[in-house]
Amino acid sequence: MINDITLSYLIFLLPLLTFVVNGLFLGNRNAKAAAAFAIACNGLAAASAITVAIHYFCSGYAPQKAIMFDYEFLPFAGSLVAKIGMLVDPLSIMMLVVVTFISFMVNIYSVGYMREDRAEGRFFSLLSLFSFSMLGLVAATNLFQMFIFWELVGVSSYLLIGFWYHKPSAVSASKQAFILTRFADSFFLLGIVLVSYVVGSFDFSTINALSLHAFQASTVNLGLCSVSSAEALFIGSVLIFTGGWGKSAMFPMHIWLPNAMEGPTPVSSIIHSATMVVAGVYLVARLFPFFAACGDTLTIVMWVGAFTMVFAAVIACTQKDIKRILAYSTLSQLGYMMFALGACKIHQVYAVTGWTASTFHIFTHAFFKCSLFLIAGSLIHQVHTNDLDAMGGLRKKMPITYICTLISVLAISGIPPFSGFFSKDEIILAAFQGHHYVVFAVALFTSGLTAFYMFRMFFLAFHGEPRHEGVKAGHVHEDFAMTLPIVVLAVPALLSGILGKGLFEKFFVPGQLHVPQLLKLAHAPWIPFAAIGVAAIAIAIAWFFYASPKAKVQRALDSTNRSGIYKVIYHKFYFDEMYYAVVRQFIFGGIARVSRAFNDYIIEGLLAFCVWFIHKLGDLVRTAQAGYLPFYLGTLIVGVLLWRFFGQLPL
Amino acid sequence: MSIPNYLFPDILLLIFPFIVIGSRLFCSTQSKVPWRIANVGFIAIFILLNLIPLASGEGRLFISNWKIDDFGVLMREVLIISAILGMWLSKDYFEHSGERQQMHQIAEFIGAIAFATFGGFTVVSACDLLTFFLGLEMATIPMYALTAWNKKDQLGSEAATKYILMGSVATAFELFGFSYLYGFAGSLHFSEIQYAISNGTNPLLWVAVLFLFCGIGFKLTLFPFHTWAPDVYEGAPTPVTAVISVTSKATAIAFLVVLVFGPLAPIQEQIAPLIALLAGTTLFVGNLGALKQSRLRRFMAYSSIAQAGYIMVALLGPATMAKTAIIYYLFVYAVSNYLAFFVFGIIGHYREETFASLRGLSKQDVNLAIALAISMFSLAGIPPLAGFFGKFHLFFSGASTGHYAIVAFAVLNNVIALFYYIQLIKSAWVDEPEGNLSPIRLTKRQRNVVILLSVMVVALGILPFLSNNVFAGFSY
Repeated sequence: MINDITLSYLIFLLPLLTFVVNGLFLGNRNAKAAAAFAIACNGLAAASAITVAIHYFCSGYAPQKAIMFDYEFLPFAGSLVAKIGMLVDPLSIMMLVVVTFISFMVNIYSVGYMREDRAEGRFFSLLSLFSFSMLGLVAATNLFQMFIFWELVGVSSYLLIGFWYHKPSAVSASKQAFILTRFADSFFLLGIVLVSYVVGSFDFSTINALSLHAFQASTVNLGLCSVSSAEALFIGSVLIFTGGWGKSAMFPMHIWLPNAMEGPTPVSSIIHSATMVVAGVYLVARLFPFFAACGDTLTIVMWVGAFTMVFAAVIACTQKDIKRILAYSTLSQLGYMMFALGACKIHQVYAVTGWTASTFHIFTHAFFKCSLFLIAGSLIHQVHTNDLDAMGGLRKKMPITYICTLISVLAISGIPPFSGFFSKDEIILAAFQGHHYVVFAVALFTSGLTAFYMFRMFFLAFHGEPRHEGVKAGHVHEDFAMTLPIVVLAVPALLSGILGKGLFEKFFVPGQLHVPQLLKLAHAPWIPFAAIGVAAIAIAIAWFFYASPKAKVQRALDSTNRSGIYKVIYHKFYFDEMYYAVVRQFIFGGIARVSRAFNDYIIEGLLAFCVWFIHKLGDLVRTAQAGYLPFYLGTLIVGVLLWRFFGQLPL
Repeated sequence: MSIPNYLFPDILLLIFPFIVIGSRLFCSTQSKVPWRIANVGFIAIFILLNLIPLASGEGRLFISNWKIDDFGVLMREVLIISAILGMWLSKDYFEHSGERQQMHQIAEFIGAIAFATFGGFTVVSACDLLTFFLGLEMATIPMYALTAWNKKDQLGSEAATKYILMGSVATAFELFGFSYLYGFAGSLHFSEIQYAISNGTNPLLWVAVLFLFCGIGFKLTLFPFHTWAPDVYEGAPTPVTAVISVTSKATAIAFLVVLVFGPLAPIQEQIAPLIALLAGTTLFVGNLGALKQSRLRRFMAYSSIAQAGYIMVALLGPATMAKTAIIYYLFVYAVSNYLAFFVFGIIGHYREETFASLRGLSKQDVNLAIALAISMFSLAGIPPLAGFFGKFHLFFSGASTGHYAIVAFAVLNNVIALFYYIQLIKSAWVDEPEGNLSPIRLTKRQRNVVILLSVMVVALGILPFLSNNVFAGFSY
């Protein structure tokens, strides 16, 4: 019998099954079979997710929450029980569909991309592990489950970034990503501990229904100081947000994401653009009523998001590595989503436009950004370099890819009727409605930057004269397995905005907001025109610099003869160098050296002493065993005396 | 007067050595008849023992002086297993061997083992001091003879001399202790001694206790009465070493169990510090000694000294739990120890019995190396092998009456033990051999026994969980 419950189980179990089967049995023996199995299972999972989503939205039950299944996992104390379950509401259903669908597409794409790799089986196995973990994360019913799967996606991200472990840069990038996100996750865990201690539950439904008034009176001892429970909850919410801060690579913990581009491109497309990095946004969206109740947390969220948005967009304008441009673009778009959530706070009241806009942008961004990454991978596969210097003139050789790229680039630039326009427009509107005029201006400016750097990349890659020997010689072609997912993804990149708008506005509101909501805010009709105008000007500038007949492409690509500001931006504001300096000087040189010395001299010294001492005692016992019978007989007498005095008998 | 069923094994064992030795009068020196009779006899006794139903309670008395209870029956099984394995191990030394190791008169050899085993039977059945003492002596005296069985071997004679001289002093201690105990209680019978002790103590009793523990300390190789063990273990023929390390030790620990949970039960609390001290020093000294050895049998001597210390820990616990833990551990110890001795014996046929001879064993005969590893890991107490559960129950028994310090000390000492047991495994598995190795050939019997014992070591670790028969004492 197949009902929705069975299907929801299938959504989780099929990727898990793929991971186990490919990892243990198929992977090493038959890479073709492993790929086929992975595609079949992930395809079925995607079909199940879409079926469940259709049932859910058509049933009239939406937007209420439902729990498909729930198992007790770890009973801690009293009502504090960690459960593993599956939560269904519009947000999680949307994420389930996105994750399974993108995973399916990327699996197909990987058949082409990884065709010549010897460890193809391992790749498909790990990719499914990631899908499983991500699905567990988005369907979590409680913080504890979310944290478990949160760490699991971290692990699979680590394994996949370092997939080509023979490349030192990949290894160091994977370590950097893992350590940085783990650093943020430790705050997340602290936050979970604090909040669950104060609230007495991990469940989202309980935590989201809190009102701080009930917690004003009691106090919590934090070890160093005592604070009221309400303050503890505020600290907890900031700590929890820190987890999302790191996972979504918000400034200043952003450096791992561009470096993570060392992984295979399908990995970048699914993990580092479409799904895993939005986990931070998802976390804030999931806990939105809680964050809203905690006062200023949302303001922090907004400023962190807004700054990352413009900061990353500025860097993206100067980069030449095609994947890094996309990585910074991802950072910038994540900034959009993050600040939209924060912008819901209007002094002491809350609007819901930002929440709807943010989740909507998660949805549309997943498709066009995934598509862009797949395209980038396709280009890299043909010209064997990430560098825009070596591309150019690919339009004629790869016509289908060219059209799909244009769709995605227009979508991300916010040109109607492509999908990005609708979601980005709503985000900018949310900033305006929230009276956050500075952020509103920054967002408008950034949308111009976005259009500029995307079209810069587009023109440099596809237009102009070919700058690559292989392209000139005509060795370039389109691979079917790789082009198919690109074409399929171009459809939602084009249409998901128009079709999704109604759905999102109807169903996507954060539940259980206890603060009084504003009346319906006036729609500012001029905003879309302003946004389109900014984008159009930016595109024109990009065309002028990089694609017009007069453009001096060689000079535009030359990075030697540049002003100071350009160089600073080109070197990503020297953030990598700062990190390395801090890590080398302070952590490796300072803390690590001290603890190493402690370990080497104190702990190992103590151990060495123990070993030496024990061996000396052993020598003593051995020496005593000299073989003289009189001595032996003496020990008998001595023994009696010994136990007479030390045996503690009441003699 | 009819003889009750449960007495058959004892009677059979009593007349059995006479049959075996007697049979040799009627056949040639090369005849296999005594060997076959011995096999059939021991196995028949073992089967008969298994047929005795275990009944909790006070046990059954025969002419008011011969008690058969659960502990007694299970101890009998341990002793018989030890005798059978010792006999199988010794067989090769009578058939073919180098100059030094060749032994003669297998029938008398088996007879001596049987007498020692009957001594053990007597100890666990005794109800009065006299029988008790006789049993202990009967278990010890054949060991002196067995140690010097190889008349041409000077080391063996020297070892036997040391053994018998020190054993005499220890016997003197014991007799002294018994006489004071009699003087204190005015009776030889256990139940009356117990009654007297529960009515009050005086220094006479404590002197008796001190000397009894010192006397049995010799047989159980407790510190500082252990000094004979390394020399005797090294000097005696390998099968005799194995028998001494299991039968003699099992008898001695049975003696203590009968004493501590019998007549001395009312003062168990007061003598607990002495037991803990004996256990702690013994296992520490045993472990320290084993660290520095290069000869296998000397190493096993220190290892078994340490094992005696571990067993002593269980004596601190309540009666039922301690008895269960000790019985189970003795089964495990017997099987693991014999497995080790079988491997050493097989190697000893071709080389010196040293650590260096083990090198390259894993490449020469991997099954033998696996058996050695199983035995060593079990003795070291690594799960899921039997040794782990054995030690766990010993320590559990000690801890259940709150003697955490000694249990913690014993567990810490296990780290040292692990070190030297693993060194032995390292010799067999990691170290490269020096020069060419002489080939190792196993007879069919040796191979079968090694496989049987390896399986038993693994199975003993798992089986108790399948039936709670053995572990009734732990069921609460």
